[in-house]
Amino acid sequence: MLLNFDRLGWWRYVLLAITVLTAAFLLLPILFIAALSFGSSQWLIFPPPGWTWRWYAELLSDPQWLASAWTSFKIAAIVTVLSVLLGLVTSFGLVRGKFMFRDALKALFLTPMILPVVVFAVALYAFFLRIGLGGTLVGFVLSHLVLALPFSILSITGALEGFDKSIEDAAVLCGASPLEAKIRVTLPAISHGLFSAAVFSFLTSWDEVVVAIFMASPTLQTLPVKVWATLRQDLTPVVAAASTLLILLTVMLMTLAATVRKVLKK
Amino acid sequence: MSTYIDVADEAAPARKAARPTGFAQVAPALAFVAIFFIFPVIALLLRSVMEPAFGFGNYAELLGSETYLKIFGNTFIVSGVVTVLSLLIGFPVAWTLAIMPARWSSVVFAILLLSMWTNLLARTYAWMVLLQRTGLINKVLIGMGLIDKPLALVNNLTGVMIGMTYIMLPFIILPLHGVIKKIDPAVLQAAALCGASRLQCLTRILIPLAAPGMMAGALMVFVMSLGYYVTPSLLGGTANMMLAELIAQFVQSLVNWGMGGAAAFVLLVVTLTLYAVQLRLFGVQNTGGR
Repeated sequence: MLLNFDRLGWWRYVLLAITVLTAAFLLLPILFIAALSFGSSQWLIFPPPGWTWRWYAELLSDPQWLASAWTSFKIAAIVTVLSVLLGLVTSFGLVRGKFMFRDALKALFLTPMILPVVVFAVALYAFFLRIGLGGTLVGFVLSHLVLALPFSILSITGALEGFDKSIEDAAVLCGASPLEAKIRVTLPAISHGLFSAAVFSFLTSWDEVVVAIFMASPTLQTLPVKVWATLRQDLTPVVAAASTLLILLTVMLMTLAATVRKVLKK
Repeated sequence: MSTYIDVADEAAPARKAARPTGFAQVAPALAFVAIFFIFPVIALLLRSVMEPAFGFGNYAELLGSETYLKIFGNTFIVSGVVTVLSLLIGFPVAWTLAIMPARWSSVVFAILLLSMWTNLLARTYAWMVLLQRTGLINKVLIGMGLIDKPLALVNNLTGVMIGMTYIMLPFIILPLHGVIKKIDPAVLQAAALCGASRLQCLTRILIPLAAPGMMAGALMVFVMSLGYYVTPSLLGGTANMMLAELIAQFVQSLVNWGMGGAAAFVLLVVTLTLYAVQLRLFGVQNTGGR
């Protein structure tokens, strides 16, 4: 009865009301930011007295914002490639290999997901100060790779566990080399896992703030660090414009991911 | 797993079945994680007992000073309130999602995922603007005649709690939805047939059946909240620090690696202990939000 929507009686209106309010609570701040980014008020008055493109113009003509966006994109792209490649090789070992402590090792690979990021950020900051990688592109890539790799391993091992290895074996029996069979039979079959790994890795790096705050130098910073530094000074509408563009990118990536996953799973 | 002969092993006769296989494929990632994750974290923790002098002086200072204890208190109070709020709001939403027609629930799911994947700073910025003195929330409350002076909703723990609950909601709704979805409606039907009222069905059947999922979700939200850095520092202001901010401050502004390491170790121990509890109680499948 409680699990049948039509037989809940007046309870269902209460439940629906809570759900609609919660959905609004989750959605409205995002829409609010998008609306504010076009508002003409410097002081973020809502509803705005007028509408303007000014903040976008300011954002896109500021070399610092553009440089940080480009840095973010470069880092995220390199991290995505490395994370998928390393994740793929590791997943083969984790799913098909037979060695001691295999499950413990998988758990170890996933710990960066549960460790408080600030602990990792501070620890790596100390390490990179010693070896001179702080404030460098390589430092950013390495640190984000630690955080992205668990998502990659989770997605790819998931896909690989769902793939019947006898199909790959059949290709070998038909004369393919083991490597050829992996590339031409197994990889296409687990492509949805590879794709999720790529999307998660990209977003992990692209959105990452805490480690980036510690890795950044005055000359090299990512977009989230730039947003962070700006927010600590004032609540300028330029941040609203930057946030709106970030939200737009997320929506596009999510739609792309949903579509591609549908196509690949067929 | 192939049920017949293992062709790959036949193709490479050098490998014997009894010998471990596949370790070479895991080795690069293991080396990477060991150098850039495990080693730095352990080195940081070691500094907490090495600097400035060998011993537990940093821990004594951290746990003996009222300033720091207040920060521990803030951290646990905020995480506790956020957990309770997320659970109180999340349970009815997860329940509704499990039984409402699919075309409506897919809209709510899309909103949940959008909110979860929207840049954390963008979401925090939204709340900084919404909650400020001249912000929309205060304006609406004054307009409705509920208050006559603007409330201080930001730069204090109230702001942190609102912002963190906003962030944590999807993390509790999504797993809890899965748990409720798995409950057999026939159990509740049987209770109703035996004369149980709706309220009895809820308190004596649905909630007990969902309780393991609720506990697991709550524990996860609590642990995640303990270590949050960005949202508390932007919404809480400097006077209301949480543990993660303290760690960052020790390292960045005070350059006191010993104390920073000690604070990091406390956070690490609490986090890992609670995860271990969760693993022991609820198994692996319930950990991890996304």
